[in-house]
Amino acid sequence: MPEEAGSRGLAAADRYYEDYGSRVRELKKQGKQIIGYLCALTPVEIIAAAGLVPFRIKGDVNEPITKADTEMETIVCPLVRSWFDMSLKGKYEFLDGIVIPHACDSISTTYNVWKNTLNLPYSHLINMPHSTDGPSLKFYKALLNTFRTSLSKFTGKEISDQSLNQAISLYNQNRAKVRELYELRKASPPLISGAEVAKLLIASVSMPVEEATLLIDSVIKEVKQRGGVLAAKPARIMVVGAEVDDVTFIDLIEDSGAWVVADDLCPGAREFFDDADVTADPIEGIAERYLRKIKCGRTFREKKGDYDDYLEERFGHIGRFIKDFKVDGVVLYIYKYCDPYGFDVPAMKSYIESVGAPVLYLEDEYSMSTIGRLRTRIQAFLEVLGSK
Amino acid sequence: MTEEKKPEERKRRKTATEAASRVGPMVKAALAENLRAKEEGRPIAYSFIYSGYDEIIRAMDIVPAWTENYAGVCGVKRDAQRFLEKAESENFSRSLCTYALCGLGFDSWREETGEMPPNPPWGGQARPTVMLGSGQIICDPRYKWYQAAQHYMPDVPVYVAGLPYPPYEDDYDYRDVQGYYVKYIVEELRGLVAFLERHTNRKMDWDRLSEVIDISDRTWNMISEAYDLRKAVPCPMGTGDAMNTMVPMTFMMGTQEAYDFFKDLYDELQLKIANREGVIPDEKYRLLWGGGLPSWFALTDFNYFNSKGAVFPAEVTYRLVEPVYNLDLPRVSDPLEHLAWRWVKYWAYRHDKARKRPGSNPDVERLIEYIEDYKIDGVVMHEAFSCRSWHPGLIWQLNQLKRIYRDIPSLILESDIVDISSYNEADTRARIDAFIDTLEAVKSR
Ligand code: SF4
Ligand code: SF4
Repeated sequence: MPEEAGSRGLAAADRYYEDYGSRVRELKKQGKQIIGYLCALTPVEIIAAAGLVPFRIKGDVNEPITKADTEMETIVCPLVRSWFDMSLKGKYEFLDGIVIPHACDSISTTYNVWKNTLNLPYSHLINMPHSTDGPSLKFYKALLNTFRTSLSKFTGKEISDQSLNQAISLYNQNRAKVRELYELRKASPPLISGAEVAKLLIASVSMPVEEATLLIDSVIKEVKQRGGVLAAKPARIMVVGAEVDDVTFIDLIEDSGAWVVADDLCPGAREFFDDADVTADPIEGIAERYLRKIKCGRTFREKKGDYDDYLEERFGHIGRFIKDFKVDGVVLYIYKYCDPYGFDVPAMKSYIESVGAPVLYLEDEYSMSTIGRLRTRIQAFLEVLGSK
Repeated sequence: MTEEKKPEERKRRKTATEAASRVGPMVKAALAENLRAKEEGRPIAYSFIYSGYDEIIRAMDIVPAWTENYAGVCGVKRDAQRFLEKAESENFSRSLCTYALCGLGFDSWREETGEMPPNPPWGGQARPTVMLGSGQIICDPRYKWYQAAQHYMPDVPVYVAGLPYPPYEDDYDYRDVQGYYVKYIVEELRGLVAFLERHTNRKMDWDRLSEVIDISDRTWNMISEAYDLRKAVPCPMGTGDAMNTMVPMTFMMGTQEAYDFFKDLYDELQLKIANREGVIPDEKYRLLWGGGLPSWFALTDFNYFNSKGAVFPAEVTYRLVEPVYNLDLPRVSDPLEHLAWRWVKYWAYRHDKARKRPGSNPDVERLIEYIEDYKIDGVVMHEAFSCRSWHPGLIWQLNQLKRIYRDIPSLILESDIVDISSYNEADTRARIDAFIDTLEAVKSR
């Protein structure tokens, strides 16, 4: 790896975040093949096991969407539009392929647009089911095997069980590191800010997993060493939403007089808190993780028991975060046109309030133009929290 | 909640066919049947069109309540705004599917007061026994809407049936994967039958199911043959009417009534062709409705097109069937397996064709096919802002059509299915006028 010393710690995370994709650009020059993917539901283990580098496509709140609209409708969620806009503008010119999971409508109904407009050598849609029952899991495993075959056709090499198992364990190590990182947020004031965590995690999905793990580890060490340098602030906030791949919103909250100490976001706790089990057939553990463990609004869980049990099943992890991270208030941050989370708002809000945390629900458009309005709402919310 | 003054309801749209004019009363009768079922304690299932389970519900004698239809009715009657606002007050974003918002607004209102909202369009929508969603790349509301509705009706069980279909890919053929798709769908449908037996006091009669499927297969064929007649010049039936005849196709599939309806339509169209009777006497432009759900509150726009000499002999929207005899279905004895094969083969219908034309895909191929078969001069699409199912991808399809086939005049209208506040009649008509000018210019070239 180049710049051994300089490629570590918070400053490096910051740089990888600001110059997003810089690491894979180098790897590309060294002959690596880079596969872009959308959303935390892409089974990156399989891509890595094929000897390819998975690279998460990212948007940019500061970049007005100008090119995407010529090929993609404005009724698609603004996050996906920003991803696509950045891709069309050549920001990810190093990609050799793209993998899109059937996550939500905005992602999957635009598959043809992505595939045919970017015209990359490789493309694949993983038609993930919405339910978690037995037949759905079996079907999903079959899809993952089709994906496995398709990738090996692309590289000309079989993907062995052994390389899959190795990838699984590398990703699990990475996730364990993220959980360790989150421990630093439990202190009051937290040892690491929400913005620092966000930048680090976003940067981490732009490079090979082993390097990401080293980077996170170096940040943990640095933060422990620097000790409690963050000032006390009156409120500890948790942010809940879909994918937040830009630090602007977290900054906004932290600039308004609170710390963001927990989240249910991607990249974030939703994405890193559950491992893939090492199973005799490695596809089994991967399938379990993506279909059953990751709690995303796009996955339908069948109701068992009464309605309160159901809310607990769907949102219980949020309740546990609120308790473990001593959260004072929750911001529900949902993009306009986001179906999986938009439909969850009333149930999610009432659940969170039932565990005792006040909720601020914000609908946003992933654009700098709305920042002023958001700031006012956040300040008002923090005032209410402060007066409690 | 006070009842708002209802916006003025439009007078009825003039249809070209007698068949289409019969549809309004059919919808009304179906809604009345729901309310009667409720009174009599018969099981009612909230259902989505195009979820592959119509025949199962019919065979089990469960009364379907098509929630998209009811929202559409509110749209047609221009009485959806109060339900949309109610949903918004519950914190549902106004950017979500307005069918769903209308339904959720209605349901939360009904559950809150314990009775129907005042003066509900056509008597209202009764509380269901079960809610049947589905999981596929058609739309997220198919599993989110009823889950959200459960927040107001926590005791009403929801089943989500996985109904995927193979995507069109370059590096493998759908036949490589169809086996496990079919297997999965069969298991999900079997799960649905078990769910319905558990939550309604009905038992599946498998012979009856086979009969119902036989009727629906014949109906698929009859629809296809009737719609094919619209290739005639002058065209005897346009898309405006098809937005009515979609009712028996999507809400009554598996019933003898639906079959008879399309047989009548077939006969009527044949007669019109024999008499050279078109939607408009002087047909100048033949247009394809190339995608998008219609603005239910503005169906008279089709008449406006007609007044300019334009007719729509074909549409992509709601043409949800192909002739079953063309689908190359394997012979199977399990009726659920037949349903699964029909579903997968329907979706893969144009895969082979698309492969023959570089740069094409099944959606684009379908546009090309209709343009040729129906002698089309221009393509019109509608971008409904709240529905991310059929609408994303339309721009690309249109661009691609022009890139790989030919430059053909096109128009994308923008509004919504139910939310009338997104619609501006003057603007829409000005855009239609401009489009007609373009068509004229191209014709006289
Ligand atoms: S924000 Fe919502 S709509 Fe957008 S990609 Fe994520 S889940 Fe899909
Ligand atoms: S999103 Fe579109 S397809 Fe789905 S229910 Fe709504 S209108 Fe129908």
